[in-house]
Amino acid sequence: MASEKLYEITAYTENQVGLLSAVAGIFTRRSLNIEKLLVYPSRIEGIHKFKILTRTDERRVKAVVAQMEKKVDVVKAFWEVDSERSHKEKEAVEDFLQHRENQSKTAL
Amino acid sequence: MKDKIGKKLSGAEILLEQLLVQGVDTVFGYPGGAIMPVYDKLYGYLDRLHHVLVRHEQGAIHAAQGYARIKGEPGFVMVTSGPGATNVITGVADAMIDSTPVVVVAGQVTTGLLGTDAFQETDLIGMTTPITKWSYQIRRAEDVAWAVSRAFYIAASGRPGPVVLDFTKDAQTGLAEFQPCHCDFIRSYVPVPEVPQTAIEQAAAMINAAERPFVVYGQGILLSGAEKELGDFLDKGDIPAGSTLLGLSALPSDNPHLKGMLGMHGSIASNIMTCECDLLLAVGMRFDDRVTGKLEKYARQAKIIHIDIDASEIGKNIPVDLGIVGDAKQVLARLTPLIEKRRRSAWEHRNEECDAVERERVCLPEIAPADGPVNPGEVIAAVAKATRGNAVIVTDVGQNQMLAARYSRFSQSRSFLSSGGLGTMGFGLPAAIGAKIAAPGRPVCLFVGDGGIQMTVQELGTIMQEKTGVKIVLLNNNWLGNVRMWQELFFGERYSCTRLLNPDFKMLAAAYGIRCENVESREELAPAIERMLADDAPCILNVHVREESLVFPMIPPGKELDQIMLNTQDWYSYGK
Repeated sequence: MASEKLYEITAYTENQVGLLSAVAGIFTRRSLNIEKLLVYPSRIEGIHKFKILTRTDERRVKAVVAQMEKKVDVVKAFWEVDSERSHKEKEAVEDFLQHRENQSKTAL
Repeated sequence: MKDKIGKKLSGAEILLEQLLVQGVDTVFGYPGGAIMPVYDKLYGYLDRLHHVLVRHEQGAIHAAQGYARIKGEPGFVMVTSGPGATNVITGVADAMIDSTPVVVVAGQVTTGLLGTDAFQETDLIGMTTPITKWSYQIRRAEDVAWAVSRAFYIAASGRPGPVVLDFTKDAQTGLAEFQPCHCDFIRSYVPVPEVPQTAIEQAAAMINAAERPFVVYGQGILLSGAEKELGDFLDKGDIPAGSTLLGLSALPSDNPHLKGMLGMHGSIASNIMTCECDLLLAVGMRFDDRVTGKLEKYARQAKIIHIDIDASEIGKNIPVDLGIVGDAKQVLARLTPLIEKRRRSAWEHRNEECDAVERERVCLPEIAPADGPVNPGEVIAAVAKATRGNAVIVTDVGQNQMLAARYSRFSQSRSFLSSGGLGTMGFGLPAAIGAKIAAPGRPVCLFVGDGGIQMTVQELGTIMQEKTGVKIVLLNNNWLGNVRMWQELFFGERYSCTRLLNPDFKMLAAAYGIRCENVESREELAPAIERMLADDAPCILNVHVREESLVFPMIPPGKELDQIMLNTQDWYSYGK
């Protein structure tokens, strides 16, 4: 879909057993792939941080973030279009891989 | 209770003490291996905790839902691990989608056996996480009071919903010092968001600028106790309104602003007015597809304001011009002083033309036919007349539900109980048991089909044992009526697997010691209803109704709200 982009979702949460699967379930139910997932202690004492990268459109990313915030143990959740810089990096890598694949075909 | 504070108690006893702290007086449950330490302690608490022994755990949760919805307090369920726990899952999902506060405590195997596929072990937390507000495994006696207190707070606050506590057996038997807990704050959870005054002012300005405002309200009115605030708001602005299925009884049926139920089988007027309003004000509802019809065409001519306590509902299905995340009662109370007192007479009477068509073409043929078999709607209208709108009306799911919603009358709030979002057949009978226990002084009438009653028919045993005075009106047509209707209308009259061969319900009732009358004809109906309502004993009225009945008006699935079928041939068109 043309309106699909990579979005980075950030959530600040309590450190609770089972929260990862609760968060993952929000994506599964909407057939969204998680492209990247990081979970680590935030700089706020006792608060954990999720970083999730997913490809979708703005309406759905808003719904996902709202559903995340609805979880009792999620403090706050945010979304943004994945940064231009990392996007460009990614495209550069994709171009590079495509280029290498073409090279391997000509080598054969 | 007081003499236990500070004492070393088992986790099982702490659970029971904390239940008393929460004000619980009724337990819907079923014992089994992994919850036996709690049931053992319960033996000493039966004078304070009334245990309703159901016949299947699904019955326990639906009864607790019925209790919660009629009483306005969380229902409590206690079951064992494994199959006991999985049997409540349908009800947990039902409570989630219908915003019903219930707390389920399920036994679980000893912590040392977790993950070993031990006898009756199942991953209840994993299974219920997507369908609960909160689910938590209690592994230590020290955590019991805290977890129970938190569970009740979460279940009942904000947008209510189900909470599951998975209670390991060693946490039940382990000892801890009992200190009562009173949870009323969780830092990551904001149940009632604050509404800025600017949003209230903006909403008021939009309402004051509107010539044809229309309010669509849902169960949020009942859940926040905003019945009076809604009535005052509609009175001051002279604004018409339509109710969702679960919003029914929030306003009395004779409120002049109320134009009927919204959606697929709702009133013609409420759906047409949704299509003609210039401002749609949605309060405590979630734009279910049964209400909106084709989403892209829903109220597209109108500005839309959506008031809901759940932020994730704003803009979920319908893009809105103004979203207000807050408690319906508080928001309406702040909004009413800011709206202009106006008369909108022409718009308020817009329904009359629709109502005349509906009455002549749909209602009278259903509830007052000249001859032929008894219609299901006729039975419901007769019960409404006999109870003068004072009964708690419980439904199962299907044609009985839609007709009960259409033809029942309500004079007070919290009088309608039905599985809306999940549409759980088999909900009705156990929910009616819970409703009667919650409101023992009121008549509780269940409308149920011959299909739905057989999904949870074992709960007749609970009625027998508890002597619960539920009045069961069985609309018996020997079909799965709603599916049969769709097969007739949309699947080329191919009646695949919808014909039912039924038991003799009178004999079945007799086996449970429950009085049952068969009603075969129109003449027998009113006297039988009168006899049914004459006392407070359980009773079944087995009414043989028209076999091929259809429910109209109907907006077929995926159609727009002004595409309304009046019968199999005719569609509503203005004034006809």
